[in-house]
Amino acid sequence: MHVCTGCSCLCDDVEVELEDGVISRVYNACRRGAGIFLNLNSSRASPSIDGEQVELERALEKAQELIQGSENLVIYGLDTTTLEAQKLAIELAEKKEAFIDDNSTFCLGDFVEMILKKEVPSTTLEEVKDNAYVIFYWGTDPYHSLSRHLSKYTYYPRGANRQRGYEEDRFLVVVDVRKTHTAKLAKKNARFLKAGNDEEIIRGFIDALEGRSPKIFQKDIPRILKEMEKGKFNVIFGGLGLKYGLNGNYDLFKEMIERMNEKSEVYFLPAGCHPNMRGFNELLFEKTGHVNRYSFREKRSSDDFAFHRLLESDSVDTALIVGSDPLNSLPLEYAKKLAETNTIVVDPRETFTGRIAKVVLPSAISGVESGGTMVGADGTRIELKQVFEKEINDEYILKKLLEVV
Amino acid sequence: MPLEFSKFLKKVSVEVVVGRWSFQVEAVDKGKFSEEFVERSAVIYLTDDFGKANGFREGDVVRVSSGGKSVNLKVMFSDVAPENGAFMPNSIYVSYLVDFSNFKRFRATIEPADGSVTEIDEIMQEVLSSN
Repeated sequence: MHVCTGCSCLCDDVEVELEDGVISRVYNACRRGAGIFLNLNSSRASPSIDGEQVELERALEKAQELIQGSENLVIYGLDTTTLEAQKLAIELAEKKEAFIDDNSTFCLGDFVEMILKKEVPSTTLEEVKDNAYVIFYWGTDPYHSLSRHLSKYTYYPRGANRQRGYEEDRFLVVVDVRKTHTAKLAKKNARFLKAGNDEEIIRGFIDALEGRSPKIFQKDIPRILKEMEKGKFNVIFGGLGLKYGLNGNYDLFKEMIERMNEKSEVYFLPAGCHPNMRGFNELLFEKTGHVNRYSFREKRSSDDFAFHRLLESDSVDTALIVGSDPLNSLPLEYAKKLAETNTIVVDPRETFTGRIAKVVLPSAISGVESGGTMVGADGTRIELKQVFEKEINDEYILKKLLEVV
Repeated sequence: MPLEFSKFLKKVSVEVVVGRWSFQVEAVDKGKFSEEFVERSAVIYLTDDFGKANGFREGDVVRVSSGGKSVNLKVMFSDVAPENGAFMPNSIYVSYLVDFSNFKRFRATIEPADGSVTEIDEIMQEVLSSN
């Protein structure tokens, strides 16, 4: 059995078949997961300097030279690599008094921080499978982003204390701005709340909990709360739609969860995509008390140290990007800034950022070509078992970069 | 019978919702410079009703503009697009149009365009243009 590193579910039941040393079939994985294994040899990165293909040794030397000469380094990405590699990256950042940040800054880092600081009660997917009755998907469409979430962990499986199937033993609530594929499942024993304004919905729940009639969804909200009382164990999965809908006003959301817990057990879990984002958040939190946007020189975390803010303010001369493609995910103005920076890309595949990078260092695909440990979105640690062994992986490269610091 | 002027009004202003689309994510591993990635990323999804009401057909190439920037995308119909808006999968095409204040939902205009969808290299050229 292998672990799929396609998303934060980290499904550990993936089986592969080899034919003449090539992966020919993949079992149990979703569309995304199967693609990682089956397209192992597609679009692989090559070592390069200024866009010219070179020997790996030369590219490594150039990267070492850039790291050594950097006065203001930022290390960014890291959510698709292992804990072992993340530790090395944090060590490198500390030794260089550098900035370090990951995708969680504009993804679900705030939610993970709330959990690590114990501001909201949280649980594991295994507990959800065995016990959860009311299951919220708030601002997330797991059908596309976490494709096996519903079938393997939450809505469809029969759990130890949920033996009667989703028709009777689960109650699904989907909150979204549009009727997503996940929302289309909300038929029997379910509700779809079309979110115009997330705060209004939260206030609706708080009103109902305080005995007042909610201003919106007057019938649905009291019914959902009644079901939650009946269920005893309930869970809210929050995605990017919720994060951006709340616009930083998390207190109201936390208040809602606290109030809900006066009536019934309600847990919160982030529904994020990056396979080891939580792992990075946990490691940095253990070391610094912060989950992202950290400066080892100033020994503090700040919005100003978010990767895009550093680019905006011309605060860095060198960027080490590990397993991420900011050109794909950040607005154009930041892509332009990155193109003006000495950028080192460590990635197994060709990326847009690789095309504008000073140095590209090809790496291994975690879980397929390298082992190690990752942490799922629910905080569960999972050991990866590679199909093939590739010597040059993220750990190898980061150790090489550490040699010159 | 009332005249349906909307049929002829082709430049429309919409809110675009951005999200994951597993068919597009699948193409990432085949290669971000592959035809398949462009096919599945340079796309804007409308509901059948909304698209037709505004004179768009599936497969039409449209210019999608926001914040003074434009890309050409292919129209696709989907019943999970917002009722009176549009949906785009996360990709460099979205990143090209948005800024951080409207990262996951942004206003855009859609109008008919000639030619084909914007190629990745055109966006890359734009990224490098100030250097």
